[in-house]
Amino acid sequence: MFKGLTTHLLQHLLAQNAWAAPLLQPFAGKSVQIMIPPIKASLVILENGSLAIAGETNIPDARITIPPSLLLRLLAKDEAAKLQVKVDGDTHLATALAKVFAHMRWDYEDDLSRVIGDVPADKIGSLSRHAAATVKETATNLADMLSEYWQEEKPMLAKKRHVEQFNTEVDTLRADAERLEKRISKLIRSKAAKPDSTNSI
Amino acid sequence: MTTEHNTHFGFKTVAENEKAKKVADVFHSVASKYDLMNDVMSAGMHRGWKRFAVSVSGVDKGDRVLDIAGGSGDLSKLFAQKVGPEGQVILTDINASMLGVGRDRMLDAGLNVPALQCDAEKLPFPDNYFDCVIVAFGLRNMTHKDRALAEMQRVLKTGGRLLVLEFSKVWQPLSKAYDAYSFKLLPLMGKLLAKDAESYQYLAESIRMHPDQETLKQMMVDAGLSKVDYYNLSAGVVALHKGYKT
Repeated sequence: MFKGLTTHLLQHLLAQNAWAAPLLQPFAGKSVQIMIPPIKASLVILENGSLAIAGETNIPDARITIPPSLLLRLLAKDEAAKLQVKVDGDTHLATALAKVFAHMRWDYEDDLSRVIGDVPADKIGSLSRHAAATVKETATNLADMLSEYWQEEKPMLAKKRHVEQFNTEVDTLRADAERLEKRISKLIRSKAAKPDSTNSI
Repeated sequence: MTTEHNTHFGFKTVAENEKAKKVADVFHSVASKYDLMNDVMSAGMHRGWKRFAVSVSGVDKGDRVLDIAGGSGDLSKLFAQKVGPEGQVILTDINASMLGVGRDRMLDAGLNVPALQCDAEKLPFPDNYFDCVIVAFGLRNMTHKDRALAEMQRVLKTGGRLLVLEFSKVWQPLSKAYDAYSFKLLPLMGKLLAKDAESYQYLAESIRMHPDQETLKQMMVDAGLSKVDYYNLSAGVVALHKGYKT
């Protein structure tokens, strides 16, 4: 039941994203295990470039491990988070699959139109997009407002230029300290080379 | 124990040359009510199992598919929609009564699917011809399963897939309930709905005599297939095996 439903959903999404099949087809017959501890699932690439849940005795050709803490950042399209995803085995295969998942879009309006008709589906789609845009805008405004408050009114967060200035000062200090260390060692070496100069006074 | 010239027919041991005739008698008897009984016996789940088999087959437009022991043509119909007019699906069965039901159904659906009566142990097709070969609920009735699997492997192209959908070994905690269902309820339903308790008793017995998941996997490997994997469906009541010709 679960296997059938998941496979059906995956294939439905891939059918809506026809660009993905040619990308996956060269890897037909290969499989990838996706681990988001404690959950893991193996997917197999089919000969028509589609995907299905792998069988019970499948040995994956590649493994993608995503720590649960990265999930939200990945969903928010944080590029730095992508670098922390661990890939083992056939990296070309894992990269192709990751690319497909990253760019895959669910055309919910098309699915909805089959149930309630084109016009209501279009209306619901427009309303959803508008609602999503409003939520996103409100969240961004709220975040900006809070960040300004904590930076200006009640400083809890450092401003970007202050952090950059601090970093530059730290770098300068580090360079000065290194130079000083070198001068000291040079002095010690030159003193060691003339051991009797002080004793003779 | 079966000897070199004996084989199983349910729980009975019969001469090898008698099995095909006995199996044929069973299917002649159940042909007209086969679909109704399948729906009743599996609570409609056989349709989901077959759809799942088609969805993992990787069959695309223009492919050639061979449906062995296809009987009433459920799978041929689904595959014909997948391969489109540029592809080819051939429905075969050793039993004329079952094949007649399937052929009529294809014609009624307006599908161009040739129906061919043939023995899966001697397939009348050239080597390396099909992209996908499927046998659903048919392998357990074959006298020489190894020969049939080798024939299926022979007619597959390199990279082609063999799919075997068959009753298998159910998840252990459910085995007692499943036994009670198979040996008490199933013949009773056969008696009431198809007026043929004996044939359905054979169906239940033949399921128990069929190789389990791992044994069938090894048989497919021995037949020359590679990357063989299987799916347990409905807690192992049914298993779908998939192997590649390389």
